[in-house]
Amino acid sequence: MKRRLKTYLPFVNAGIQEVATYRINWIFFMLGNALACFVSYFIWAAVYGSGGGGAINGFTLPQMIVYIVLMFLTGTIIASDGAYVVGEEIRDGTIAMRLIKPVSYNATFLFQELGNKLPTEIAIAAPMIVTVEIIRTVLSGSVQFSAPGLLLYILSCVLAYLINFYFNICFGFIAFAIKYLWGANMMKNVIIGFLSGTVIPLSFLPGVLEKVFLLLPFASLNYTPVMIYMGKYGGAQLWYYFGLQVFWALFFFGLSKLLWKVSVKRLTVQGG
Amino acid sequence: MKNIKRALKIHRIFMAQEFKRMMEYKGDFIVGIIGFFLVQLSNLLFLWIIFNQVPTLMGWTVYEVVFIYGLSLIPKGIDHFFFDNLWNIGFFIIRKGDFDKYLTRPVNTLFHVLVEKIQIDALGELIMGIALVCVSIPHIGADWDFFRIAAMICMIPFITLIFTGVKTITASAAFWTKRSGNVIYLFYMFSDFAKYPAAIYNRVVQNIITYIIPFALTSYYPALFILRGENPLFNLGMPVLASAVLMTAGIIVWHRGLRAYESAGS
Repeated sequence: MKRRLKTYLPFVNAGIQEVATYRINWIFFMLGNALACFVSYFIWAAVYGSGGGGAINGFTLPQMIVYIVLMFLTGTIIASDGAYVVGEEIRDGTIAMRLIKPVSYNATFLFQELGNKLPTEIAIAAPMIVTVEIIRTVLSGSVQFSAPGLLLYILSCVLAYLINFYFNICFGFIAFAIKYLWGANMMKNVIIGFLSGTVIPLSFLPGVLEKVFLLLPFASLNYTPVMIYMGKYGGAQLWYYFGLQVFWALFFFGLSKLLWKVSVKRLTVQGG
Repeated sequence: MKNIKRALKIHRIFMAQEFKRMMEYKGDFIVGIIGFFLVQLSNLLFLWIIFNQVPTLMGWTVYEVVFIYGLSLIPKGIDHFFFDNLWNIGFFIIRKGDFDKYLTRPVNTLFHVLVEKIQIDALGELIMGIALVCVSIPHIGADWDFFRIAAMICMIPFITLIFTGVKTITASAAFWTKRSGNVIYLFYMFSDFAKYPAAIYNRVVQNIITYIIPFALTSYYPALFILRGENPLFNLGMPVLASAVLMTAGIIVWHRGLRAYESAGS
């Protein structure tokens, strides 16, 4: 265990240094993404304003605002670049360099990305959680914060990140079929945006669709942590959705190992 | 006159080159087009679900909202199709030191950058935009006359230049900072506000998207005239004025940037 840590810690360090170099760029990028939240806020405010003003599909307007902010936060926390990185390496052949090193392919990515994400996550998560709590307290008139809720949310985010990470590694192998990774990734992101409840809460969908989407791995990405934070899942439901998250994390972990084995056999690197 | 002829000829040669390149990777450009098409589809599903809950959005019916949404995609798509290379300036070209090649050629650098590439992905936006406008028009009980349709078509080049102008100004920042891709991204994302009637936003946002980063001028204000015949002087005049101002500012900032530019790399 100690030896393992010693092997992978430099990757965390490299990730931290990477993100420090491009800090300003990252801030602009986040601000750009935050604009989409404002657009959603106004459109929902208009919807609730044009309707009766009561709850729609289990969401009141204040809850919807909290939902939008939490979706944004969760999306940032669990974001993973794996698909792009793996795809690029397959395309330009640098994947060969990974083959000759005595470290696990997936694990190096995982630790590098963690280094990349940890500083930014702490920087963004703490103030946003405070913001959410202020919004909730002001809008509902009483303190809604619960420490166990926050802990469960963090745990659920960790699982969601692992699902997303291994799913993206798997998706990266699409580079064997499609050269235009940027396009393939955009397509993937749009579909996941919808299936994971980022575009609209899944409870707004017709009953059957909602049930199916909840089983798919993508609801385990953003929707489950957010629902847990908002206290919509309790008791047995909580165990069920945590179980589902664990299942999908293990599923994509296994699949990524399998794909790696198969593709190493198929891999042809030109030049070098 | 001679200059324009020469420019058009250069443009044609670059376009032909791009089409050859695309034919090389047919599968890829289909992926891109479908990708952008799906983005719009996801947004439309969102609208559809919303309008299942409420009959109108701040007094706007579903077809009017679809019209505004479609109209916003047309200039966005045209700009995306022809002038996508500005993103590469912001993200890669200057940082990697590849910009020097433009300085050695006997054409204006901005012109060269703009016409060098086309982005076929944009068809996903453009086709969807035209389709939505065409589908929604028969359902909107506006007084359609020749003048309104003509006004809509004449506005398109101008509102396209609002996109190009904003992108040119923000891309130029890379001359000073080496990398401005995310600055372009931040400002470009304001075009998200143009997808819906500006009436749903509060005063502050409305002023920003009308006078500062004026993407509301690309869809909402022209639609106010086209659908409701309101105030043609402002609703058509402002977008034309804004496109002229932004494009001129873009050209000035770009050339300022050229003077500040120091090559990167070795």
